[in-house]
Amino acid sequence: MGTLVRSLIRNRKALVGMIIISVIVLIAVAAPLLTEYNPAARVGRPHQPPSAEHWLGTTRIGQDVFSRLIHGARTSLAVGFGAGLLITALGTALGIIAGYRGGKTDEVISFFTNMVLVVPNLPLLLVLAAFIGQASPLVIAVILGFTSWAWGARVTRAETLSVKHKDFIKSAEMMGEPRWRIMTFEIFPNLISIVGINFIGSVIFAIITEATLEFLGLGDPKTVSWGMMLYNAQKASALSVGAWWDILTPCFALALLGIGLSLLNFAVDEIANPRLRTGNRLSRWTTLIRTGEGRL
Amino acid sequence: MVFLLRRLGFYLAAFIAAATINFFLPRLMPGDPIEIMFSSAGAELSMENLAALKLTFGFVDGPLWQQYLTYLQSIFTGDLGRSIKYFPLPVTSVLGHALVWTIGLMGTATIISFTLGTFLGILAAWRRGSVFDIVVSVGAIFATSVPAVVTSLIVLFFFGFTLGWFPTGYAADPALDPAFTLTYIGSLLYHGVLPMVTLCTVLTGGFAVTMRNNMINLLGEDYIVMARAKGLSDSRVMLWYAARNALLPTVSSLAIAIGTILGGSLVTEVVYNYPGLGNILYQAILARDYPVIQGQLLIMTIAMLVANFIVDVSYVLLDPRLRGA
Repeated sequence: MGTLVRSLIRNRKALVGMIIISVIVLIAVAAPLLTEYNPAARVGRPHQPPSAEHWLGTTRIGQDVFSRLIHGARTSLAVGFGAGLLITALGTALGIIAGYRGGKTDEVISFFTNMVLVVPNLPLLLVLAAFIGQASPLVIAVILGFTSWAWGARVTRAETLSVKHKDFIKSAEMMGEPRWRIMTFEIFPNLISIVGINFIGSVIFAIITEATLEFLGLGDPKTVSWGMMLYNAQKASALSVGAWWDILTPCFALALLGIGLSLLNFAVDEIANPRLRTGNRLSRWTTLIRTGEGRL
Repeated sequence: MVFLLRRLGFYLAAFIAAATINFFLPRLMPGDPIEIMFSSAGAELSMENLAALKLTFGFVDGPLWQQYLTYLQSIFTGDLGRSIKYFPLPVTSVLGHALVWTIGLMGTATIISFTLGTFLGILAAWRRGSVFDIVVSVGAIFATSVPAVVTSLIVLFFFGFTLGWFPTGYAADPALDPAFTLTYIGSLLYHGVLPMVTLCTVLTGGFAVTMRNNMINLLGEDYIVMARAKGLSDSRVMLWYAARNALLPTVSSLAIAIGTILGGSLVTEVVYNYPGLGNILYQAILARDYPVIQGQLLIMTIAMLVANFIVDVSYVLLDPRLRGA
């Protein structure tokens, strides 16, 4: 663990990524201390440009953009990490079980995994969200968790297959260790890098997707989040009336968080696979760009 | 052949799965499913039309399995019901009209970004570690980690509103009648520039990174060393020995991209008010036009499955090792 932290600090990409994420997390945690304005209340005249009073201006209905931005960070981070955790947990568990047990279990799990992978994710999410109506961030996180695990399951299964025939697994089996113990204590620790990469990738995916669903008007209007900021600004025609602060603020926040997480992901991969550092630096990155899922 | 048939069977199962989701979703929601699905229709629908719509979605008297079979039957006969918002147009014709726009926009964007990304990837791999490589790699990370909605809005803001170089919405000047004239085609191209730029920004990075990594993996192979030892020119080794073989895995990402373009361009179409499938889906969501929303999921699933099948076929054609299997 100590070595991992040390290598992360030594890696420049990881450092930049971690600084970006830490700053965003700190600001989100300290949000109520940093602004006196209630993010949901009307606190000024509509569409005021940035000023000393309202650092990032006001929205169409006179809410403080800065206050909404830093309070919204809490929602984005919570949905991102919550859904990311759920996606990773499901994907890892299913992947390890399918890979280790093999046979019928593997066939059934793999069949469902492949099926979920070919049904396009975004339209499915939109149909689900449309029937639910105004989806709160919690509902969005849960839907994301249960529909997006397939990629992780497939990658984890492949890795499990390569670990499964190693000697230490055979010896654990000989000693009569129960199967669940082999899966959790022998196989899982050896997959930690792929699990970490899956986790960060899922966080990025969840944050982007939450913002997209809310931008498309499927979110709960009472939510304070970056996606709802985009939705409200777009609905108020912020760009055509020249209120750029209203719409570009959440844009840059989302872009920054996405880049920060990607840099970290990239670095974790380099550290976990030293081979990548010298030559094939980006090979795992290919698999991180979730074909079909990340592209919204 | 057996391989392809097995894949076909799998795709059929996947399609039925998507149809099943469509069938059960309204029934799983709290409340009356008919109320949920057709309430926005209001007085516009006559009783007769409503009855026809109900039949299409399997709301018949009888046990659930009978309703399910009725629904599957209407899907496999190509009946997706009628749009509530654009009544009395059938969903298939609403979607069919939009499909043309989406294919035009996304098809072109995919071809441009695939070509551009592949060449950038080849050159970056060939000059690994150079400034060019770093710029391409880092640029690709940035372009792919920024959400498409953000890219769309930023491009629209700078080039559409601030600089005012390009129109900010619609596929062509609404004042012009669609016709095969130079003015109309010119307007079409002019309006297409910003959505195209956005989509290429989003897509190119992924293709470039895939190609670069495939290339780097291959550059250490013996046959590359052999080609060099024979004294072949650099460009010949790069293009005909390395790139040609590295292209194979890229084909799969291209096909998946083609499958997702229908859903993938959604945000861009909404931001630029482009009349494609994504925008239709967006309008349908706003109007709670459930027949159109459900039809979209099926159409996009079919597109994805067809694209996957094309990958399977092209793999068999491109990789001789698979042909025997």
